Amino acid sequence: MESDELNERYICINCGYVYDPAKGDPMNNIADDTPFAELPEAWVCPMCYATQDQFDLLD
Amino acid sequence: MKPSVSSLYQAVELQQEIPPLLIGERANSNGSKKFRELLLADDFESCLKIAQEQEAKGAHIIDLCTAYAGRDELADMTTLVQMCAGSVKAPLMIDSTTPECIEACLKLYPGRCIINSINLEDGGANLRRICGAAKKYGAAVVALTINEQGMAMTAADKLAIAKEIYAIAVEELGLRPSDLLFDCLTFTVGSGDENLRDAAIHTIEGIKLVKKELPGTLTVLGLSNISFGLAPKARRILNSVFLHEAVEAGLDAAIVDAAKILPLARISQEDREVCLDLLFDRTAGQEPKPLMRFIEHFSDRADDDFDEEKGSGRTPEEQLFHHVVTGDKDGLEDILPVLMERYKPLAIINQMLVPAMRHVGELFGKGEILLPFVLQSAEVMKRSVTLLEPFMDKIDGESATKILLATVQGDVHDIGKNLVDIILSNNGYKVYNLGIKIPAEAIIEKAKEYDVDLIGLSGLLVKSAIVMQESMAQYKAAGLKTPIMLGGAALTPKFVAESCVPGYDGPVVYCRDAFAGLKAVREFEDGTLTSTVFDRITSVEAMKPGVKDAAIDRDVPVPTPPFIGQRYVEAIDPQELFPLVNIQALFRGRWGYRRGKMGAEEYSELLTTTVQPIYDGLIEQSLEQHLIAPKVSYGYFSCYSKDNTVFIEADGTTYPFAFPRQTEAPHLCIADYFKTKEEGGDIAGFFVVTIGEKMAETTARLYDTDAYHDYLMLHGFSVEVTDALAEYWHAKMREELGIGDTNVQGVVTQGYQGSRYGFGYPACPDMDVHKPLFAFLKPEKIGVSLTENMQMVPEQTTSAIVVHHPQAKYFAV
Repeated sequence: MESDELNERYICINCGYVYDPAKGDPMNNIADDTPFAELPEAWVCPMCYATQDQFDLLD
Repeated sequence: MKPSVSSLYQAVELQQEIPPLLIGERANSNGSKKFRELLLADDFESCLKIAQEQEAKGAHIIDLCTAYAGRDELADMTTLVQMCAGSVKAPLMIDSTTPECIEACLKLYPGRCIINSINLEDGGANLRRICGAAKKYGAAVVALTINEQGMAMTAADKLAIAKEIYAIAVEELGLRPSDLLFDCLTFTVGSGDENLRDAAIHTIEGIKLVKKELPGTLTVLGLSNISFGLAPKARRILNSVFLHEAVEAGLDAAIVDAAKILPLARISQEDREVCLDLLFDRTAGQEPKPLMRFIEHFSDRADDDFDEEKGSGRTPEEQLFHHVVTGDKDGLEDILPVLMERYKPLAIINQMLVPAMRHVGELFGKGEILLPFVLQSAEVMKRSVTLLEPFMDKIDGESATKILLATVQGDVHDIGKNLVDIILSNNGYKVYNLGIKIPAEAIIEKAKEYDVDLIGLSGLLVKSAIVMQESMAQYKAAGLKTPIMLGGAALTPKFVAESCVPGYDGPVVYCRDAFAGLKAVREFEDGTLTSTVFDRITSVEAMKPGVKDAAIDRDVPVPTPPFIGQRYVEAIDPQELFPLVNIQALFRGRWGYRRGKMGAEEYSELLTTTVQPIYDGLIEQSLEQHLIAPKVSYGYFSCYSKDNTVFIEADGTTYPFAFPRQTEAPHLCIADYFKTKEEGGDIAGFFVVTIGEKMAETTARLYDTDAYHDYLMLHGFSVEVTDALAEYWHAKMREELGIGDTNVQGVVTQGYQGSRYGFGYPACPDMDVHKPLFAFLKPEKIGVSLTENMQMVPEQTTSAIVVHHPQAKYFAV
């Protein structure tokens, strides 16, 4: 289950930014291997500031 | 002798030993798609077969109806009556409202049949003529409790009309009481409509009253309306329970699909109780309401026979519902006239179309359907209302809740507001859509003039959020207390709760999308609408993402532009732009084709079969019709920064561009990326790009003609193509400046040197900088103008400052 979540990339439907758990989001201190579901509540799209409900499972 | 009807072969008693008398409803061009298609194909043999099959399933009488727009009812009916006379053992029910047709059939039929139906809608002229024929040829007659005022809703009215009909048919024209079968009319208890909550009680009560007050007469019901709007499996059970109750009350006959009636013994006690609660509005005061409990209770029953054949076996009511839910406009012209024979236009809207749209909204809320499909449903609703309107009194709509909508002063974006308009007006509300760039004064004036119940304000830009905040005081000073709904990309619940709510006397509500707006209107009607509350304790302040590094390298070399000053470019092939379109943002964001709960394969299939073809089609259309005419005004200018301002030298004048600075760490400001005078000055690029006004005109025309779906598609496409043009031109400028490769694939991640900052967006919310920009880029020549509030027209235009500094990335102030 966990390995699934680590492979699940999410895309921002507002700007197209892709959150890849393998890479995390260094600009916002999100470590590698952080699944999308475990992002802090305050985390928003680092490109366009869309909230997490604006993200869609990519593939 | 007991009252009976007969065919050539047998007599059937109207009052069966074990009631009710079952009248098969399938041989009906309005109720059965299969029958209709056979009729339209002139396949009378197969039509006959449908009539015959019902006998085997338990029907005592066969209803026959061939009325259909464009067909010759008289010819079809007489043909089939003759065929049935020889081949169907069960007696016929002649289902027509045309006296000529009824008379012709009575003449032909070699037995005693039933006429379906008469009423007092026209005051009695048709009724007298048809009853005269019934007397002459010896037929029984179904009488609907409808008079000039419409369909009787209460038991008392049902009885009163039945008495009127009795007086004419029996006392005046000499029919026997047993020749009359009174239909006390059935309305759905499944719509959630408060006015219909006790509909079943009135129908049952009506049957009892008729049987008591008009002894000797019979009663009949069209059964399945009772459960209209509910899930098919649950309907069968509810219909069967209702039939049982009606028979207990004295019902003699029922028009049904005989194959779908369940014996009471096969229905569990628990199911029965839930049905009875709904039918008799038992435990009404308790939560959840009986209807909610019913839906919940039956929610796990599979609708296995729902989709067996589109439209087959559906009543016109069900067909209309299905058309709305599936967004299918074809055939509305045929279904609506049929319904209008039985319902007033307003009843069709309120009892069928609005519940169907509500169902669509619920499916959208659950993530089961996507926005584009909702818009197609709204188109069906709109088209239906347009067809019904000529038959409606103007007064009809006046009781509807009234909502004023406007995009606020200085903002030209109307797609969001228009989506709200589409959703609200197609849920039965009266919407006054004032348009774009509407000053607070005009909103106040119109709100008072139209006496609206709610005001909805929209705006895309950061500036618009400020406009909304500031205008609250004006609305308050004008004495308004009307609830205000606020929507727009730059708004947050926090901003609305903390910056807008305190400035106004009425409720101020944040609405994240059109459906939140719909919810707010419903809450207003229920008296439960309250201002948005932002709870600091449970809510988390959103991160401010973006650049965190405040130490900006002062020694970055200044690139050499190919020229200094302003230039126009118009020779851009639209084909160059399509590869740069942000497909994900278009498909999932602007169009709303989100993956949501879909599996990977299902989503991929949606993209391949639906979304990609729309996109390809729009590319083709825009090329054919020359909708995209890319034009650019751009330039490079010497500049220097001082504090928050970048001073631009152009045409011998110095133009100050003041940019805001972040109020918290790292306290960034766009000016930081430019060298000061002391550091030797710098170079800034600017551009204004547009795809021209033809696209804007075409988009507006789609909205005006209620092509909601295509409007959303073309509008989203146009905005993303405009953005692709900005991306294309930014790449061109980087190339000219010799900074990095010409790779434009980094669109989203900004994987290139420098950045472009759009005006009106997070790093530079203020659009007043458009004023100096227009002074030296002079984009009027490529057809772009400024509104008094510094917005560019046409909407498909974008502007930016191009920064070459490698550390320049997106951030928000």
